[in-house]
Amino acid sequence: MSRFFATGTDSESESSSEDEPVVRAPAPVYTFSDDEEETKRVVRSMKEKRYEELEGIIHSIRNHRKIKDFSSALASFEELQKAYTRAAPVVQKEENGVAPRFFIRALVELDDWVVGAWNEREARKALSKGNSKALTSLRQKLRKYTKDFEAEISKFREDPDLPDDNERKDSSSSDESEDEEKPIKEKPKPEPLLRPPPEDDESSDSMDWASSSSDSSFSSDDEERGTSNIREQFIKKVTKKEDDEEKIKLKLKKREERRERSGKINKRDVADDGGEWETVRKGAATSDKPKMFAKDSDIDAALVVKKLGEISAARGRKRTDRRAQLELLHELRTVALQHNLGDALQLKLRSAIVAALFDYNPKVSDAMKPEYWSKLVENIDHMVTLLLAHEDMVLSETILEENEQLVTPPYQVRGCLLTYLERLDDEFTKLLKECDPHSNEYVERLKDEVRVSALIDRVCQVVERDGTPQEICRAYLRKIDHLYYKFDPRAVRKDLPPTEETTIKKMERYCKYIYAHDETDRLRTRAILSHIYHHALHDNWFQARDLLLMSHLQETVQHSDPSTQILYNRTMANLGLCAFRRGNVKEAHGCLAELMMTGKPKELLAQGLLPQRQHERSKEQEKIEKQRQMPFHMHINLELLECVYLVSAMLIEIPYMAAHEFDARRRMISKTFYQNLRASERQALVGPPESMREHAVAAARAMRRGDWRACLNYIVNEKMNAKVWDLMVGADNVRAMLGRLIREESLRTYLFTYAHVYASLSLRSLADMFELPRQRVHSLVSKMIINEELLASLDDPSECAILHRSEPTRMQALALQLADKVGNLVDSNERIFEKQGSFFQRGGAQRGEGRQRERPREGWNRRTRNRRRDDERADD
Amino acid sequence: MASRAGSARRAPENEATIQYVQCDGLAVMKIVKHCHEESCSNMEVAQGALLGLVVENRLEITNCFPFPKHDDTMDEEEYQLDMMRRLRRVNVDHFHVGWYQSADVGNFLSLSLLESQYHYQTSIEESVVVIYDTKKSARGFLTLKAYRLTPQAIAMYKEGDYTPEALRNLKIGYENLFIEVPIVIRNSPLTNIMISELTEMIPEEEGSKFLDLGTASVLEGQLRSLMERVDELNQEAIKFNRYQQLVVRQQQDKHRWMVKRAQENAARAAKDETPLPEEDVNKLFKPHPVPPRLNPMIVAGQIDTYSQHISQFCSQSLAKLYLTQALQNAKEAKQNN
Repeated sequence: MSRFFATGTDSESESSSEDEPVVRAPAPVYTFSDDEEETKRVVRSMKEKRYEELEGIIHSIRNHRKIKDFSSALASFEELQKAYTRAAPVVQKEENGVAPRFFIRALVELDDWVVGAWNEREARKALSKGNSKALTSLRQKLRKYTKDFEAEISKFREDPDLPDDNERKDSSSSDESEDEEKPIKEKPKPEPLLRPPPEDDESSDSMDWASSSSDSSFSSDDEERGTSNIREQFIKKVTKKEDDEEKIKLKLKKREERRERSGKINKRDVADDGGEWETVRKGAATSDKPKMFAKDSDIDAALVVKKLGEISAARGRKRTDRRAQLELLHELRTVALQHNLGDALQLKLRSAIVAALFDYNPKVSDAMKPEYWSKLVENIDHMVTLLLAHEDMVLSETILEENEQLVTPPYQVRGCLLTYLERLDDEFTKLLKECDPHSNEYVERLKDEVRVSALIDRVCQVVERDGTPQEICRAYLRKIDHLYYKFDPRAVRKDLPPTEETTIKKMERYCKYIYAHDETDRLRTRAILSHIYHHALHDNWFQARDLLLMSHLQETVQHSDPSTQILYNRTMANLGLCAFRRGNVKEAHGCLAELMMTGKPKELLAQGLLPQRQHERSKEQEKIEKQRQMPFHMHINLELLECVYLVSAMLIEIPYMAAHEFDARRRMISKTFYQNLRASERQALVGPPESMREHAVAAARAMRRGDWRACLNYIVNEKMNAKVWDLMVGADNVRAMLGRLIREESLRTYLFTYAHVYASLSLRSLADMFELPRQRVHSLVSKMIINEELLASLDDPSECAILHRSEPTRMQALALQLADKVGNLVDSNERIFEKQGSFFQRGGAQRGEGRQRERPREGWNRRTRNRRRDDERADD
Repeated sequence: MASRAGSARRAPENEATIQYVQCDGLAVMKIVKHCHEESCSNMEVAQGALLGLVVENRLEITNCFPFPKHDDTMDEEEYQLDMMRRLRRVNVDHFHVGWYQSADVGNFLSLSLLESQYHYQTSIEESVVVIYDTKKSARGFLTLKAYRLTPQAIAMYKEGDYTPEALRNLKIGYENLFIEVPIVIRNSPLTNIMISELTEMIPEEEGSKFLDLGTASVLEGQLRSLMERVDELNQEAIKFNRYQQLVVRQQQDKHRWMVKRAQENAARAAKDETPLPEEDVNKLFKPHPVPPRLNPMIVAGQIDTYSQHISQFCSQSLAKLYLTQALQNAKEAKQNN
């Protein structure tokens, strides 16, 4: 599942997801020298494979024996020989060159049978020629072959009734070796405590046992040699090869684990009366503090680094227990701290812990646990403190492991603080998205935002000190990401002392740095978008607009990655809101139209998934989309957005509709608004508006009638205030602006609709009607006259607009429209006639062309002539 | 009321079995009632059956009954038979002679009307369809018209082939799909007497509102409908035009292919090989389906009706306007004097 998220930590997640289906978690084996374990496992499977092959052949031999088919038996025997040679290396390794018992048994049985058959002379004679030939050669071959196994065969013949060891299919190899080594009767006695009874191994989780049982068998050898005190024995052995610390540690671990397990088994056995047992709890081993170093070894930086290398080498392996690794690292760090090995090492260890913490979460798509996340923050915080405390300490990716300077200043440590920070931040976002945005939990989580911001600030300091410009850009962008959506009330205050730094100024500083120093376009794009967003948030309409126009992002944004596109959408939404607050209705509509036209602004702003009707999205796709979602505290209020869009569409569309009532080629400006309006008009009974959308539509209808008061009441009332307007900064200003705009646009609508019934209009009465200042009415009417929207002239002394009756009446307009349409029809009809070889033509020729063709011809000829003239012109 | 309505603008061209339709006042009243009720409550068309007799060269319609609204639970045919059976019991003519339908300013012409009338006329020779125009009657002009399909239209429908060629061979166009049969309303002498009495009882001012000058709204509505039809017809024309282009292109392709094949064959003949068959061309170039011309024809018919209505309305209005102008002038002259 998680492999679809091809991020940096791919390998871990993959392996862990493979682990999942196993019912039981792998036993916590501290196997740091993995190779031993792994080869063993491979061999086991080899062994199984070979043995199965052998068994299969043996089985078929048995069958042949039953029907006395010598020739087939011979073939099978030859096959068996070959198979055994193939299996020989396995046998060599696993059983010290002693042939497995089942193989010997087969040989013995075959031999007995052949000898028996040979001895029965009569029967032999009755055999077919091929069969008797086969018998002879089989006998010879068998004789030759059994010589190699004489010892085993004789041993087998001593007591052939013992069960074949191979029946315990994947049970430990030691069984067999022990079988061969010692008198068998002794065997079961020391075993039962250590080894599960055979039936258990057959069970489904026998695979899991593979590794641990091999361990146990490994140590059981020792046990047999001197069973009294296993531990001492081992320690003795340890002292022998003290130089190899690594091995020792491993053994120690194994020992401990063994002890743990055997203790447990003992307990269990008492309870179960020596019956079956199947599980070894995972937590059992971890209760012990992991041992780092041999007791009296000399701990210095190099050793710790080596140890760290060992620990981190296991990182990402399938069987690595991540929690244990974490504990080991912590232990290591405490050890290093105790021995005072220097801050650089501390830094290194911290960074390893951070990496391990990141690894701890098995799936990249899921959020990590909050407690681990806060550990992360702590650790990174410590790292930053260390870095800030030492001027001469550098943490960088470019430093190779070999070139690290951990002991003497100037310290150089490999690692990337910025990457850690970025991942930390991403994890934080994931955590937020994980919990329900309306719960207290979310608020609790959100409190950590302060921590993250502070941490980013400090990391910025570090990066500013010794990062490349590109790194600084990255750090700044993180900073911006945490800044751009926050409203700073200080920024809109007029009486701000110029020294105080508002977020706007901060944004300006960071963004300018990124504009200047960024080499990848992505960071710059994001910075610009965030910058615009921030400006728009603080009503700096002109700056925001200019930045957007300068960036030319509208043309290129569709080629960028989804998250940038989402940011672009968010920016546009906010720009639209900003334009609206500033009373620039047209611009607001323009900004929002693209978002709202599709009808799914929710998805475009990454604030939730909509169910798709046409096709189900696949699981991966859904996951990807979920990853892109914005955390709740960054959401833009969709209702507010839609309301602003509808109101601005109303303010534009209604006068336009009134002006172009008879225009055949009228285009609607806003489709969504139009649809809403249409739906409302189609209703037989319109109830009082309930939702925001209904309010907007009702207002639009009132405006169409020129009833500005009703319109304003629909738009600005208590319901709408609570739903929409109170959410805006400077709600009162917005409301005042709305009132003014509604009056003006209603006036325009009124003039468009009813001008034709007036001979003259008094501006004063108009001003009274719409409660607008007279100058405003004057300017509006003048503007309409200039734009040729109103055919009138102003009479100054009487303050009247005198209308010139020159526009067509409704009837005339309709007639004109009809004429247009008929013209079109005639055109297309003539085109039908023009086409030579048409049906009409042929028919016309038959019936004497006359009546049908004569009449249209004149017009048609004229037309063709014109066309010809056009063609000539085109040629020129 | 007892006057002849629906002037016979066009005399029947062929030797029809029926010269005119004679409609009883009762049937007319029933039709009017039904249609008005139906059109007021919901905007559906009202339909019903006409009952009567054929006498010499006239079709007498003496009674009628409405069809029920479309309802799945009821078998319409059975209902009609039941209805006729019951009417016979009360001694009403039970001979099914046609059907009636309400209409709105001449938008009655449609495919379904054509279809129904075809079925009627093939099963009952003399049957007519009576169209009652609710809108126009509401304005004070009783509009009741009887139509029959022309023999060409029946032939066309029978063949079910609406290609331009077929239509041309039948010499059929929108103007001769239907033939209007003059309709005469006849009342019994007793009724006539009563009506005469009633007319005398009507106060003089009543019924003098014919000089209504509010022409705009009516004309507007008709213009709008006309525009819709014109648009539709234009679409059809464009469709046909596209078809023509396709045919022309295919002809060219075909021709090219033929030339190529001829060349090949010439080459093969030179090498003494058997020529390739030329019939392949029909497989390669399947003829495009010809767009049916029935719909455009009906639309054209509708446009024709609308235009007639408009021109009729306009001439009436103009007459009225001239009349009022004269009156106004006379009044002014009087005042001046």
